[in-house]
Amino acid sequence: MKKTIALVLTVLMTLSVLSACGSNSAPAATQAPAAAPAEAAAEAPALSGSVSTDGSTSMEKVIGALGEAYEQKTGVTVTYNPTGSGSGIKAVGEGRCDIGLSSRALKDEEKASGLTQTILAYDGIAIIVNPANPINDLSLEQIAKVYTGEITNWSELGGDDAEIVLIGREAGSGTRDGFESITGTTDACQYRQELTSTGDVITTVAQNPNAIGYASLASVKDTVKALAVEGVTPSEETVKDGSYLVQRPFVLVTKEGVELSAAAQDFFNYITSTEANEIIAGAGVVSAN
Amino acid sequence: MNNIMTARDLCLWYGQAQALKNINMDIAENSITALIGPSGCGKSTFLKTLNRMNDLVPGVKITGQVCYREEDIYDKNVDVNQLRREVGMVFQKPNPFPMSIYDNIAYGPRTHGIRKRGELDEIVEQALRDAAIWDEVKDRLKKNALGLSGGQQQRLCIARALAVKPSVLLMDEPTSALDPISTSRIEELAMGLKDRYTIVIVTHNMQQALRISDNTAFFLLGELVEYGDTQTMFDQPADKRTEAYITGRFG
Amino acid sequence: MERAGIAPRPFRKGDNMAKKKQLVENLVHGLFLLLGLITVGCVLLITLYLVVSGIPAIREIGLADFLFGRRWASTAAEPAYGILPFILTSIYGTAGAILIGVPLGFLCAVYLAKMAQPGIRNIMESAVSLLAGIPSVVYGLVGMLVLVPGIRRLFHVPDGASLLAAILVLAVMILPSIIKVSITALEAVPREYEEASLALGATPVETWFRVSVPAAKSGIAAAVVLGVGRAIGETMAVMMVSGNAPNMPDLFQSVRFLTTAVASEMAYSAGLQQQALFSIALVLFLFIMLINAALKAFLKGSKEG
Repeated sequence: MKKTIALVLTVLMTLSVLSACGSNSAPAATQAPAAAPAEAAAEAPALSGSVSTDGSTSMEKVIGALGEAYEQKTGVTVTYNPTGSGSGIKAVGEGRCDIGLSSRALKDEEKASGLTQTILAYDGIAIIVNPANPINDLSLEQIAKVYTGEITNWSELGGDDAEIVLIGREAGSGTRDGFESITGTTDACQYRQELTSTGDVITTVAQNPNAIGYASLASVKDTVKALAVEGVTPSEETVKDGSYLVQRPFVLVTKEGVELSAAAQDFFNYITSTEANEIIAGAGVVSAN
Repeated sequence: MNNIMTARDLCLWYGQAQALKNINMDIAENSITALIGPSGCGKSTFLKTLNRMNDLVPGVKITGQVCYREEDIYDKNVDVNQLRREVGMVFQKPNPFPMSIYDNIAYGPRTHGIRKRGELDEIVEQALRDAAIWDEVKDRLKKNALGLSGGQQQRLCIARALAVKPSVLLMDEPTSALDPISTSRIEELAMGLKDRYTIVIVTHNMQQALRISDNTAFFLLGELVEYGDTQTMFDQPADKRTEAYITGRFG
Repeated sequence: MERAGIAPRPFRKGDNMAKKKQLVENLVHGLFLLLGLITVGCVLLITLYLVVSGIPAIREIGLADFLFGRRWASTAAEPAYGILPFILTSIYGTAGAILIGVPLGFLCAVYLAKMAQPGIRNIMESAVSLLAGIPSVVYGLVGMLVLVPGIRRLFHVPDGASLLAAILVLAVMILPSIIKVSITALEAVPREYEEASLALGATPVETWFRVSVPAAKSGIAAAVVLGVGRAIGETMAVMMVSGNAPNMPDLFQSVRFLTTAVASEMAYSAGLQQQALFSIALVLFLFIMLINAALKAFLKGSKEG
């Protein structure tokens, strides 16, 4: 009797897990990026095989949409490994993936080591707070002061009397790098929590009424509220015309002198063409093409 | 001499099997009573009814009466722990705790609230002397009790039982696991304790019963077949079954 | 005189049958030895790799600065690589988990081994086994979604992700092993000790705590060692609830452990930062070895006592 019950329960659980498996797009990155086990690109004769991309967790939505569209067009699969900008840059440099993805511009030493950057799009970094927070906009200076610990209570900004809880990303994250350089708070942020993915930041801010965080605009849904910066609400238009100040480039990284496989080159051409603009826009970022 | 413990129409069942059938017995104070009989006859079971150790066996049912100082020990108002303090027990296989000799003896008194070092020291020494083992262990009280020989361990257990100052000492085949020399030492010890304690001893060894006991009870298949003065019973047993057992025709 | 039955055979080694058997014997011995050596080899390899990868950074940063430095800022313009916060957090976190988990688990074991009715005991033991099988990431998820907001509301702190959250999660994670091992240890105590104690007039509860538990001491110590091992090595669950800021440990502060320090920065790291992470891993490794050795010595000492 016990055994039958156990068996039935196991079957039920397996079925419910399988039913949750949905689309064949890249898996959402909510856990910590482990060391990147990127697949090597398959040498593809006449557009078969797969294209491997690796890197920024912020670019998940964009690459996911582009990859899906490309697959429908040509039948070539595009894989995406959400390991973070730094790891993606490393991966392409070591030849472990075809195209590296970074949510920040390449550093000088990275360029010097033979890596080329191609800007795919511009992503706004939303400054997010809990939907219950009465504050709706802040100036860059205020944001900087909040994150360096000069302003510690929401009441100083006109909100409730509560301690501000600073959420951010871990050292080395492209999003963090982008945020800190634009707000001028490099190395000075007093984070309460340093999380390892954009998704984690959004979840945490959604749960804590006094939290503030930053996340790629493309990933923000209505679980959190995106603040206006200097009076400018973050949106595609304001990122495009530059009036929304907190933004960073989504960069495709390739290795100089290394020829991409036919499939990878074709994919690269596709996504940097105006053909892809609509898809890029659909993912919430502003195309640079 | 009055009867310090009595049993009246005592019956005991382990589940459906009846192990004791209508036992009636008086145990006189300051005497040594031996319980003899073949294996499985109920003598150990009877012994354990005297300090309610049978309570620990699941499925045990008891009817009848066992009185200690004229009070029924199976009455529901009886504090069983206090009873066991006054009716102590020594087991067949020596079972000292895995602690020092001192802590073994002091265990009982400590359980009953005695904490002061001085008092405990006295009690420990007295108990070890009463058990005729003081001289052998007085310099190694802090050493682990399991380091003693079998005979010494059993005397230690006797000392441990004596430390709580019981009136009755129950001994369940205390020498069956020991060598002859240790056996005779414990028999001497028992006879020496007689004037201050009442002893009930289960024994497989008829000669032992003859050697040390005042009264003997012969059990067979859960019944108390014969009970009386030891010398008389061995010289002129009243019951045929007793005679058969004593002369070794079965057992 | 001839014996009926099996034909007599000489006992000499030159015999063919004996030779074959000897060969099989040797082969099997050799195989087992090889397997054993592979295991030992793996351990040696890992140790060697950790040492080789971890030493360079320590050399560059300086041992004292590394182990006792209070500031960790690996990507700052002026980087600092002090791991004292991580060391202390791991120590406090493990100690906290042990302080809560061991008494709780141990008392639960006493209850299950001695007091519980068979029906209740079965149900509770199944629950414990289930708890043991839950993967770390699930603990972390439940911690993140339930415990962290809970702590925030209960203690009126701005944010619940903290050392306390990690300690609670760790305590629950080590419970099953502590309970199971303690139950085994308690049941191994010979019944005679308990009978002797009861015959002296001690109550059952007194007997359990003054005789059974001390007699089961080494088994319970083994349970503690298991618990410590799991707690100090836990990464996933802890990372999701502890906040991950490199602060000196405080109960309601966001903290980073040795394990999470490695896990959170490894992906993005390069250069000295990456080497420093290897050094942290080396320190963690040495820590675990130290604790194991210390506990072993302590066990040995108490056995002889």
